[in-house]
Amino acid sequence: MRYRLFDCAVRTAITLAVVVWISPSTGAQMRKPRQVAGCPSTAAAFHLCALAKAKTFNPPRTPDGQPDLQGVWETPMAGGLGNIEGRRGGDADNPAAVPNSLVVDPPNGMIPYQPWAREQRAENVARYIDPYTHCLPITAPRIMASPRTRQIAQYPGYLTIVNESGGHPFRVIYMDGRPHLPADIKLWRGDSRGHWDGNTLVIETTNLTGLAWFGSGGDFFSDALKITERLTMVDADTIDYAATIDDPKVSTRPWTMAFALERNKEKGYEQMEEGCFESDRDTADLLLTGFLMYTGPRFPK
Amino acid sequence: MKLDRAALRKRVLSTCLPVAALCLGSLLPAAAAGQVTASQPDGVRRTADGKPDFSGIWRTMNAAAWNIQDHAAEKDVPAGRGVVEGNDIPYRPEALVKKQENFKNRATADPETKCYLPGVPRIMYMPYPFQIAQAPTQISILFEYVHAVRNIFMGSAPHYPGHIDFWLGDSRGRWEGDTLVVDVIHFNDQTWFDRAGNFHSDALHVIERYTPMGPDHIRYEATIEDPQVFTKPWKMSMLFYRQKEEHAQLLEYECFAFP
Repeated sequence: MRYRLFDCAVRTAITLAVVVWISPSTGAQMRKPRQVAGCPSTAAAFHLCALAKAKTFNPPRTPDGQPDLQGVWETPMAGGLGNIEGRRGGDADNPAAVPNSLVVDPPNGMIPYQPWAREQRAENVARYIDPYTHCLPITAPRIMASPRTRQIAQYPGYLTIVNESGGHPFRVIYMDGRPHLPADIKLWRGDSRGHWDGNTLVIETTNLTGLAWFGSGGDFFSDALKITERLTMVDADTIDYAATIDDPKVSTRPWTMAFALERNKEKGYEQMEEGCFESDRDTADLLLTGFLMYTGPRFPK
Repeated sequence: MKLDRAALRKRVLSTCLPVAALCLGSLLPAAAAGQVTASQPDGVRRTADGKPDFSGIWRTMNAAAWNIQDHAAEKDVPAGRGVVEGNDIPYRPEALVKKQENFKNRATADPETKCYLPGVPRIMYMPYPFQIAQAPTQISILFEYVHAVRNIFMGSAPHYPGHIDFWLGDSRGRWEGDTLVVDVIHFNDQTWFDRAGNFHSDALHVIERYTPMGPDHIRYEATIEDPQVFTKPWKMSMLFYRQKEEHAQLLEYECFAFP
């Protein structure tokens, strides 16, 4: 049940994308590519177009004057971050052949992994169980890209983002200028502080355990990770979401992924309980077939 | 229980909308309620619409998670005064046998030892803090323990139809003066009230009452109805204390992440 709605959406999207991609000339005639807020729905093109549109959009406001990002949001463009570098999983020799990568910087769409880290990503998929399969808490940006919905609510001094799938990993993001937690307190979801940069909500997250993945494609991070998210309303029903990943232990430089948050407009929608860990049977099955529990990055000696 | 969400949503929409419309109508006259009067306890924080503002980080200071009744200390278990009014729980005879069996096997049989969501009201008196985030239409309770979330819907939408096996139930709230009253149904039969083996069936119906006792205390009462297990309703009562340390925030107790 966990992935049913998401599966359906993703399969539809992939089928559509593959049809268009395999036969670009006929595909273009058959179907117009999906647009989001009047922008192309591939990450790099969307991000560029969306930020240009945001410059002239005056977002709705909360009573205390902040841009009002509240509501329930879906992220079909992100595909659950199953393959951040695109359908082909990246091709360093031919960057132009990386279609639909979510990576908008560097411009070649590739995650600037250190060489050992690119090898570990492949090994992660081949040998290890995605910690999220075992319902372990996910952090940004995956917490914004996972199946189904997330609800943003703004309160005086803080805001909350509650994810529906994955057993409701939630974040409380303090906006009152308080310092981060001491470095020795590591959290699966990290420690988030937010502020406004004009109409853009900026969230900085540190204090991570480094024991989770960005997505089911094995993309991983260390406990040195600092995530900077930027949420900018593009129109009343769309947020441009960008996450800059700064992890000096794993990559050669900071990199950024982007996708759209699209408003869920289902009337009377309510997030429902998901007892994720309580109904997890997949982990046991995977252990039986020889997969191992993931225990974090294996840094070179 | 695995739940077909799409089918359920369709059912909720088709069967509940007319009911919801009726409920909304009946709520309108109550919109003026919740004004501050002279008899209110001093210092109760209030929202813009005059309701008590429960926003903040709270926790209990009792030992109910181990045993909701009077009990002496054991290894790793603090002693505690009971939170059950009158201390007696009106079990049916066969249910009492089950409770005693549970108590004997509690070290391994308590579902909480498997890190499962501990049900309502037990989640409220686990020995970890929780945060209340309050808006007029929805009050969310976020828990440090296994990052549990309860959404208490304050609008006109009624409970979902049918029976659903939720771990934390389906919570619908309303204001009675300064008291937040939450009606919770749709439970599974997989949680206990405490480590001592007090249990319920999936017919459990919990009515919670949250009443402000000043700026930093909430009186919490939970009435327990479950005719399959108890001969009559009974009630727990305890206080929530506001966590007042500067920059208090929830951390994590990811129970099943520990090796």
